[in-house]
Amino acid sequence: MKKELVELKINGRTHELAIEPSALLLDVLRQDLGLTGSKRGCDESSCGACTVLVDGVAMMSCTLLAATCQEQEITTVEGVTEHGSLAAIQKAYGDWGGAQCGFCTPGFMMTVKSLLAENPDPSEAEVRSALSSNLCRCTGYSQMYEAIRAAIAAERQGAPSPQ
Amino acid sequence: MSDFSIIGKPTAMIDAAEKTTGGGKYTDDLSVPGMLIGKILHSPYPHARIKSIDASRAEKLDGVVAVVIGSDAPNPYGILPVGHDEHALALDKVRYVGDNVACVVALSEAVAEKALELINVEYEVLPAYFDPEESMKAQTDLIHDNKPGNLEKDYHHAFGNPDEGFAEADHVAEARFIANEVTHAAMEPHSTLASFELNPHTGKLGRLTVWSSTQVPYYLQHKLSLVLDMPMAQIRVIKPLVGGGFGGKSEVIPLEIIAAVAARKAQAPVKITYTREEVFWAHRGRPRTIIDLKTGIKNDGSITCVKARVVQDGGGYCSYGVVTILYSGALLGALYDIPNIQYDGYRVLTNKPACGAMRGHGTVNVRFAFESQLDELAATIGMDPAEIRQRNLLKPPCITVNGLRVQSYGLPECIEKTVERSGWKQRKGKLPKGRGLGIACSHYVSGAANSIIRSDMPHSTVNIKIDRDGGVVVYTGASEIGQGSDTMTAQVAAEVLGCSLARVRVIAADTDLTPIDIGSYSSRVTFMAGNATLRAAEDVKKRIAAAAAKKMNCATEDLAFRDDLVFKKGSALPVVKKDQIEEAEVTQAGASVSGRVEGQILRGSLQQKRKEEGPKEWMTFEEAVVAAIDFHGALTGTGSYAPPQEARGGKHKGAGVGPSPAYSYSAQVAEVSVDEDTGEVTVHKVWAAHDCGRALNPVSVEGQIIGSVWMGMGQALTEEMVWKDGMLMNPGMLEYRSPSAVESPEVEPIIVESIDPEGPFGAKECSEGSLAATIPAISNAIYDAVGVRLHECPFTPERVLAAVRAKRKDKALNLTEGVDPTAPARFREHGGALCFNGKGPQRHALDPARREAPATARGTD
Amino acid sequence: MSLPQFRLLRPRSTEEAVSFLAKHAGNIRVLAGGTDLIPSMRQKLFEPEYVLDLRGIAELRGIRPKSDGAAEIGASTTLSAIEKSAYLRRHYPVLTEAAATVASPVLRNMGTIGGNICLDTRCLWYNQSLTWRKGCGFCIKKDGDLCHVAPGGTKCWAAFSGDTPPALLCLNAAIEIAGPNGTRRIPLQEFYTGDGVNYRRLLPNELVTSVFLPAESAGYRGVYRKLRVRGSIDYPLAGVAVVMKRSSGQVTDARIAMTAVNPAPLLVRRAGEMLIGKTVDEALAEAVGDLAARTAKPLTTSALTPEYRREMIRVFTKRAVLAAASN
Ligand SMILES: Cc1cc2nc3c(=O)[nH]c(=O)nc-3n(C[C@H](O)[C@H](O)[C@H](O)COP(=O)(O)OP(=O)(O)OC[C@H]3O[C@@H](n4cnc5c(N)ncnc54)[C@H](O)[C@@H]3O)c2cc1C
Ligand code: SF4
Repeated sequence: MKKELVELKINGRTHELAIEPSALLLDVLRQDLGLTGSKRGCDESSCGACTVLVDGVAMMSCTLLAATCQEQEITTVEGVTEHGSLAAIQKAYGDWGGAQCGFCTPGFMMTVKSLLAENPDPSEAEVRSALSSNLCRCTGYSQMYEAIRAAIAAERQGAPSPQ
Repeated sequence: MSDFSIIGKPTAMIDAAEKTTGGGKYTDDLSVPGMLIGKILHSPYPHARIKSIDASRAEKLDGVVAVVIGSDAPNPYGILPVGHDEHALALDKVRYVGDNVACVVALSEAVAEKALELINVEYEVLPAYFDPEESMKAQTDLIHDNKPGNLEKDYHHAFGNPDEGFAEADHVAEARFIANEVTHAAMEPHSTLASFELNPHTGKLGRLTVWSSTQVPYYLQHKLSLVLDMPMAQIRVIKPLVGGGFGGKSEVIPLEIIAAVAARKAQAPVKITYTREEVFWAHRGRPRTIIDLKTGIKNDGSITCVKARVVQDGGGYCSYGVVTILYSGALLGALYDIPNIQYDGYRVLTNKPACGAMRGHGTVNVRFAFESQLDELAATIGMDPAEIRQRNLLKPPCITVNGLRVQSYGLPECIEKTVERSGWKQRKGKLPKGRGLGIACSHYVSGAANSIIRSDMPHSTVNIKIDRDGGVVVYTGASEIGQGSDTMTAQVAAEVLGCSLARVRVIAADTDLTPIDIGSYSSRVTFMAGNATLRAAEDVKKRIAAAAAKKMNCATEDLAFRDDLVFKKGSALPVVKKDQIEEAEVTQAGASVSGRVEGQILRGSLQQKRKEEGPKEWMTFEEAVVAAIDFHGALTGTGSYAPPQEARGGKHKGAGVGPSPAYSYSAQVAEVSVDEDTGEVTVHKVWAAHDCGRALNPVSVEGQIIGSVWMGMGQALTEEMVWKDGMLMNPGMLEYRSPSAVESPEVEPIIVESIDPEGPFGAKECSEGSLAATIPAISNAIYDAVGVRLHECPFTPERVLAAVRAKRKDKALNLTEGVDPTAPARFREHGGALCFNGKGPQRHALDPARREAPATARGTD
Repeated sequence: MSLPQFRLLRPRSTEEAVSFLAKHAGNIRVLAGGTDLIPSMRQKLFEPEYVLDLRGIAELRGIRPKSDGAAEIGASTTLSAIEKSAYLRRHYPVLTEAAATVASPVLRNMGTIGGNICLDTRCLWYNQSLTWRKGCGFCIKKDGDLCHVAPGGTKCWAAFSGDTPPALLCLNAAIEIAGPNGTRRIPLQEFYTGDGVNYRRLLPNELVTSVFLPAESAGYRGVYRKLRVRGSIDYPLAGVAVVMKRSSGQVTDARIAMTAVNPAPLLVRRAGEMLIGKTVDEALAEAVGDLAARTAKPLTTSALTPEYRREMIRVFTKRAVLAAASN
């Protein structure tokens, strides 16, 4: 199929690209733009490793046609880092064991970011429910809760580290 | 102040930022110029002979560069030397739905997929075997011609005197247990990128570099050399970040070989990444298992004998199968003091994807059976389930009846602690109806004492080099797969050298750069690579100490290394210490370099001044390093580890599997509730005590314990590969139900430190041993809650409800299609039929729908 | 797995969309949130020449309360928006409750109510890759002429597995459909055929544009109970919605509908009759549960055994009725 010219706004930068209409956002990010932070973990829109923000809303980039995302602001995990240093949630996931193999982590970063943007002080149940969009096979999720609590605390004051 | 400055403290993984920022590269994130994409054609039949393959139409498709078939690389391979039964691509036969038939190399994934549809394969369909007990009866159409009765391997062990053991028993329990099949489902689908260099002299293909999602780069290098007929030195295997393994990447997976063969044929770099469905076909997970178990105890609770007949449904290839069936026997009797053991293990071939090693390799399913039966026996004699376990403890140091050496044994403390933290004594039996507590124990090896490739080479070797600015580089073949092995390596090196963690860089798992380590499996890395790192660090430290002692006018034994300082023991540490350390860290970070002297980074005036002074009480780490380099020239160290002879086990056939230099122990209490109308089980909390020897990094140890318990819970409740005549009904993350955050319980990890005499700083295994206890802890808790004994896992709501209803003598409902979960006799297949009345595509001759009269439509009333 | 190739059409208005549909009828698929269509296209269950993307049509989005207490929901409104709508929660709680159980939070940010209503029927023998289906043998629903679930039959039993339609059926919802000849409005109940292949009454040149919740259905107590193995992500293996109105303890009106156990979401006939004028107690709830279970015809289209899923319809109905009648 003939490629078409599209304009995608990703992490604040506009990219002009020629893509096939059937190209999925995830593939365009990973293959055309080299933004390999978003991962493909399944083929059934089930695992959440490819989660990005579209106009601030968490969505699965494996289930979006890239061409339908024009005129929208896309944020990938590469856009989470703040001025070249780790965002609180990134630091906390490292300190508290929220990431083991790390493959699902970019997806969780996006999910948690959108959770905290919407609800800066979520209850345990709200955190659980939000995290249930993403699968992780290493952590059993427990240490992620501690990381999220720590990140919330860090955002409020100086960052405490474990113990 | 603890004796240690680095280990024992919660430490963020050294690669954490790569993971949280998405900057780290996994294999599929890599690309090289000119790279092509490979896609594999899989068999639609469970068992068939390939009569012909015609790829001409595919080859002509625009964008296709090459089509690879079996004859392109006919050498057999397999992870075990006794099991070389696989080929890069099928030579003459396919043995499961999903077996590898051909590979298309093309410019893009879409073109490659299209080309797959254009390959014509003519098959002669053969009768297929799906149930291991049926498969064992096979006379003709064997899965592998050299395996009569489709038996991959059987072992028959008797230790002590089993008959006498049962004769002594006051109570004997006997039952069949069934554990259904589970798989690793690591988040990262397997991926391999293979690229040949051109030989500058001949202009032909030269060295091969392979980037792969592997737990065992060295084994991959070895098998590639076999299949490609190339010397190992011509092959470089690099392991980028790996997105989880759990055993699924602990052997050579078909795509790893296929990518290399394809790159050779296409004369270009080729990357293959599995779809999730292909990951399920590659599988190598935990086989579904039938366990006929008999246990005898005396009235005082002591176990007199255990007898187990274990049948594993191994799938179409050997894989790690021989090791799996041996582990099932070897570890069955080694957790407790059991004087008499009889074990009959059968590893059976069937026409399904090959099973292999999965977290808790070989031990999990038999542990489920044993710990469940022990609970039943405790109930028979009216003994508390925690107490019956305490009655049967080993008395280490000792050698178990099957020849396993046990030195450190934290099980008693594990039981004590879980019992205490869970409020077992106060709460057991007193919870409201439908809620219950269950206890179970498990253990695992800290690496196998005998490697699968028999040789006397060390299991791990580590090199260290230190540069003039005090930067420490550790070269290790150990594979970081998310478990934190790189961090462990850095911690051990920093602890020994008394330097800050930030100084240490770990170069891991690159066969060109790093010495041989046999990989990340059977929980061997901390124990073995950790010991090798420790020795390498000691080696290089010796040299630094010699030079520093000279400078300080003292004996090397008088020196201590800590906090980036080398000082005389007992000397008052300098007041400047703190500032200097901060300064050292700043220098490390490269933010401010206060002076360069002779091309090395030194700390300007202070440094120079101190150099001119005479003997002193202390030196900075950098000063000591400079002194050592001035004194010795290059500053490197090396260390290796081989398990001691005494830990290598007995002499009987199969004695090589099971022995380990040290074992971890776990005791768990699970609290569950059961909805008696729906059969749904909720796990509220699991208290998990784990004896890991010493916790080098408590955050990681806790993460491993929680992760193991959680994965065990998945196998206990929701995860199951569902089969219908060799078709996997749920080859994806949607239908293979790995638990989500919502139903994942709180796990309270309790670290028990038995300080092993041979482990690095006393450390042992912590990543697998906890998994096995979770399943029986949950089944025992279900019994406590509603009084039913489930003998088949997972405990899905239909199975639990069927058992509950049968106990209540409710109106009979056939909820589990004739398989009673409290006394299962056989594996259940998914309902429905593959084919009807000769319509549709031809299926294998043994398809029940073809043998029997067509089933009538059910439920259409 | 890559998507089959297609041309993408991105209309800005319903009118434009309908004209595209008319032009390419039979060779075009509507794409809303894509959470059903995209995974299915990966598996080559659909290989249309054109894909019509609704994301650019603003008029299809939004929850519009009416002055008389009714509500109109645009077909492209996301399930998240429905779940979080205070208005719907107050007046039509069964809908927000059902919407909140769909898939996972992130999928609900994408999935739409129109897509949920139009959701393709599901079957373990159908929602599989092309390679898988080749191995198994194609079935009636796609490319074949036999059924693995009910061998011998000629009907497809793939289960309708959307969560909101049972709630909408209970609310007597209607949907508006736009086509070349203008729009028509039909009760949702008439939309489903009960056949697994042609599961909905929608012409290839038509588009569902909105859902109407009648004012008379506002204020009913509602409960939705869903059977799933995991607490998130999973499609329903059985689902029951109950709405009820009571006056001084007695049921004045009630409706019950189920999903995921038949090729269509179904209202349980006579459930209202059984309940109206009565005070709900265990025995009555139990009897209604038995009635519902008789309506359910689960087959081996999904995980868990059919017998178990039918039994859960019974248990869940009973529980939902009791919950709707509790204070
Ligand atoms: C992992 C996973 C889990 C899921 N779990 C659930 C679940 O638990 N419960 C559940 O109900 N659903 C579930 N879904 C399915 C899906 O997310 C929802 O049903 C969602 O509401 C579908 O909406 P959509 O907009 O994404 O549909 P799309 O995929 O865009 O469309 C679905 C179908 O409807 C057609 N269509 C869409 N809009 C219109 C319209 N306006 N007019 C005519 N035809 C139209 C499309 O052509 C397509 O055939 C799940 C999906 C995934 C991937
Ligand atoms: S119910 Fe039968 S015809 Fe329908 S999708 Fe399933 S197997 Fe195919």
